[in-house]
Amino acid sequence: MIKKLSVILSIVLLASMLLTACGPTATQAPAAPVKETIIVGGTPEVVYVTVPPEEPPPPVDTGEGKTLRVSFGYGDVPTLDPSLSTDTSSVQVVDELTVGVTRLDEVTLELKPGMAKDWDISADGTVYTLYLEENIPWVRWNGTEVEEVLDCDGNVRYVTAEDFVYGIKRTCDPRTASDYAYVLGFALAGCNDLLAGDSESEEFQALIDGVGAKAIDDYTLELTFLTPAAYNLNIAGMWIARAEPSWIIEGDDCTEARGDRWTEPGFNQAYGPYVLKEWIHDSTLTIVKNPFWPGIDSAPQAKIDTIVFSMLDTPVAFAEYEAGNLDVSGIPQADIDRVKADPVLSAELYQGFSGCTYYYGFNTSRPPVDNVHLRRAFSHAVDRQALIDNVLKAGQLPAQWFCRPGMVACPTPDNNPDVGIKTDMAAAQAELELALADMGLASVDELPEIVLMYNTSEGHKNIAEAIQQMWVDTLGIKVSLTNQEWAVYLKTVKSADAPHIWRMGWCLDYPDANNWLKEVMSVGGSSNSDENADGVPDGGLIWLNETYEQLVNDGAVEQDPDKRLDMYIQAENILVYEDAAIIPLYFYTSLSVSKPYLDRTYSMHGHDAYEKWDIIK
Amino acid sequence: MIRFIAQRILWTFVVLLFLSLITFGLMHAVPGGPFDREKTLPPETIKVLNEKYHLDDPLWKQYVDYLVGVLVPRVNDNPPTSLTDSYLINIPLWGDTEFHWMNFGPSYRSRSRTVNDIIREQLPISFQLGVLSIIMSLIIGMPLGVIAALKQNTVWDYLGMSVAIFGVSVPVIAMGPVLVWIFGVALKWLPPAGWGSKPPYLMFFVPRQLGWDYWRYTILPVFALGVSHAAIIARLTRASLLQVIREDYIRTARSKGLTERIVVTRHALRNALIPVITVLGPMFAAIVTGTFVAEQIFGIPGLGKYFITSITNRDYPVIMGTTLLYGMMLLLANLMVDISYAWLDPRIRYD
Repeated sequence: MIKKLSVILSIVLLASMLLTACGPTATQAPAAPVKETIIVGGTPEVVYVTVPPEEPPPPVDTGEGKTLRVSFGYGDVPTLDPSLSTDTSSVQVVDELTVGVTRLDEVTLELKPGMAKDWDISADGTVYTLYLEENIPWVRWNGTEVEEVLDCDGNVRYVTAEDFVYGIKRTCDPRTASDYAYVLGFALAGCNDLLAGDSESEEFQALIDGVGAKAIDDYTLELTFLTPAAYNLNIAGMWIARAEPSWIIEGDDCTEARGDRWTEPGFNQAYGPYVLKEWIHDSTLTIVKNPFWPGIDSAPQAKIDTIVFSMLDTPVAFAEYEAGNLDVSGIPQADIDRVKADPVLSAELYQGFSGCTYYYGFNTSRPPVDNVHLRRAFSHAVDRQALIDNVLKAGQLPAQWFCRPGMVACPTPDNNPDVGIKTDMAAAQAELELALADMGLASVDELPEIVLMYNTSEGHKNIAEAIQQMWVDTLGIKVSLTNQEWAVYLKTVKSADAPHIWRMGWCLDYPDANNWLKEVMSVGGSSNSDENADGVPDGGLIWLNETYEQLVNDGAVEQDPDKRLDMYIQAENILVYEDAAIIPLYFYTSLSVSKPYLDRTYSMHGHDAYEKWDIIK
Repeated sequence: MIRFIAQRILWTFVVLLFLSLITFGLMHAVPGGPFDREKTLPPETIKVLNEKYHLDDPLWKQYVDYLVGVLVPRVNDNPPTSLTDSYLINIPLWGDTEFHWMNFGPSYRSRSRTVNDIIREQLPISFQLGVLSIIMSLIIGMPLGVIAALKQNTVWDYLGMSVAIFGVSVPVIAMGPVLVWIFGVALKWLPPAGWGSKPPYLMFFVPRQLGWDYWRYTILPVFALGVSHAAIIARLTRASLLQVIREDYIRTARSKGLTERIVVTRHALRNALIPVITVLGPMFAAIVTGTFVAEQIFGIPGLGKYFITSITNRDYPVIMGTTLLYGMMLLLANLMVDISYAWLDPRIRYD
């Protein structure tokens, strides 16, 4: 009897814990209609009045100004040094502390003047003379407020062309060991040579002088590029080519050199809309408004005084958002359905652009997927919309080609609905017949084993299993699924032993089709590697199509936007249809929730322009 | 006893040396390197990075350089600008000169911190969380176990053991979000995530302010971690106390007329605690260096995350640093446990 009682008690204890978790939250009590009697024109009438649910109290203004609370993903910001930044969190903060010569409009992806208010281009299109904004001071947080940085004579230090030259040369310097410098090396003259140089040799100084960045005077910067490419200024505006304070990195007569530690709070100096105030590693990073930033068209003066970045995992960040401690948050996969169904949260939900494509690549040299009809059959047989509706559920867009719509010179579904490859079960079966005929096989049972590999993750597994089933249903082919840990997976995919079908994604470095079709898919690109640089691919797709190579090389330097788009459309057709080297699956979207008192913009290029946001209370 | 302790400390160094050798070998044997990216870095960049971090040296030289960095102390007055020239222990001597010891190397993933910074800033937080959790689990677990043993086969016994089974079966990954939901989001009594203290710390791990602003962050994670460990302590205490209670000397003590309280606390408990202390040693070392799951769920900036992420990132110095740190903690904890045996059971003597 007692035994039973204690068992029942423990079950009740457990159940009460679980049930409270499942119930609706206290703050979202549904509005209850209340009966009231009102007098209308002399006659009493009974009406039902809906009492609105109690509004949550607005955030308290403590007199310290407006504070925005956001979260990065889980993990510390790796660095705030513009030359060393690769992570989105680093780039986000660097883009608030500094401004490039050009600045990408986050909503329209239009390249706008940044620190360079105007520029002249030489006749052959490779030498750009940029005229910089004047009298923008370097500032720092001195413990109590933002102050201007003074030089050894007591004068204010302004951002000059020399600072940009220093920053660019520092990025290209092999001693800095920048991960991202090679992107600058693609475009700027002399940068690659310096990167490959030997710092001990006598010619090293000549290599430094040979980098295509020169200060004509304090506010005139001359940049020399390798080719007259359309995206030169795009790359010159990236975070790897920012003005950097040489006096605090190398030291000078009145400033102690801080070396690698110059980005730490207390030493960090900036000139953009915000300044670094505090950085508690792994915990929070705080930036405050820079009152000395005059505001330019593409980067106005900030309206929000303080931004606090936390570093929380998505489910934790979402819990903080619901508790009222964060103003913006992503949504964990498991909560998407609940958010869409909830009246308050669904109003705060925004489905925005995310510049990434998810695809499956083929090792086109490995039988039996070396047969183009088989590859095309696989590609037609994926029901992309069903995948999005049932597995992904975040309103992603089905992909008919590789390059994410919204990039410059990239086709869009509205204007080019028939480019690329579409889900088509009948075409899939027809292609399968042709493949079997080509290989001289009677049925799919005679095909050797085909392996589909992905990097270990619950999400990728769900997608792979769904697609495996689709192929069984339509083609009767069952591929084997395997997965590997990320670093091992990358090695396997980029080797000559790449599996038949492998999963990959690509997100933009800069919003131009060149970054997609050339830097990823052409020979030597990240998914079609060429280890010994002999022009023959030996990893990833292991795919060489001379017409494709010609198209993407010509497209890189083509100035006429219509011709350029046409070239890239032809290239896409070769990539996903004629040669079917990849199966484009879907274009990413980003789901987020923002508090209603936030007046914000939604960025298309991967990080936000917080200087344009405001808090309305 | 002193000889015993000295011998054990010497052994600690030997074991840690072997640990470092095995870890070093394993981490270089695993395919993949720290500079593998989805978009393959060009060979010049990889060459430059390898040179900067001395990854192009032969493996034995890398290992020896690492050991020298960790073991050999230095006395100099270099300003702390370079990331390669930073140390875990810095004791100011005179003027600008300082005594430096233990350089665990840079982190490949973070370009602004070294392993020394990571340990110095994140270990105290894990330590605070760990110590509080252990205290909580002892406060919950031991009385539960004692009552269950003394009142064996009564309702208290069954209730106590049910709570224990609940604690052991519901891991932090399940209990944590439930607690966060109830107290953090629904009732909004406690913050769902974060930690209330930031560096620098007093005496290596004590936070500077200990007001409600600190304690409100500790309640949920300490409870979540404490309950599951309390369960283990409760069951162990109960089992070993049950055995001790049956002994003859306990019957003698009772027949002498001593109160039950004295019999239990002075005679029975001391002998019953040996298995509990044995388990407490490794448990302490494990919790105090950081628990990955609990810290992720509660957004606590501790050291636990680095144990896992360093391996995925192939961040060799962080792997070595965290492994050696954990090994050191474990060996020290076991040493404390062995010393406490001598206090608990006079029959145990070391000479």
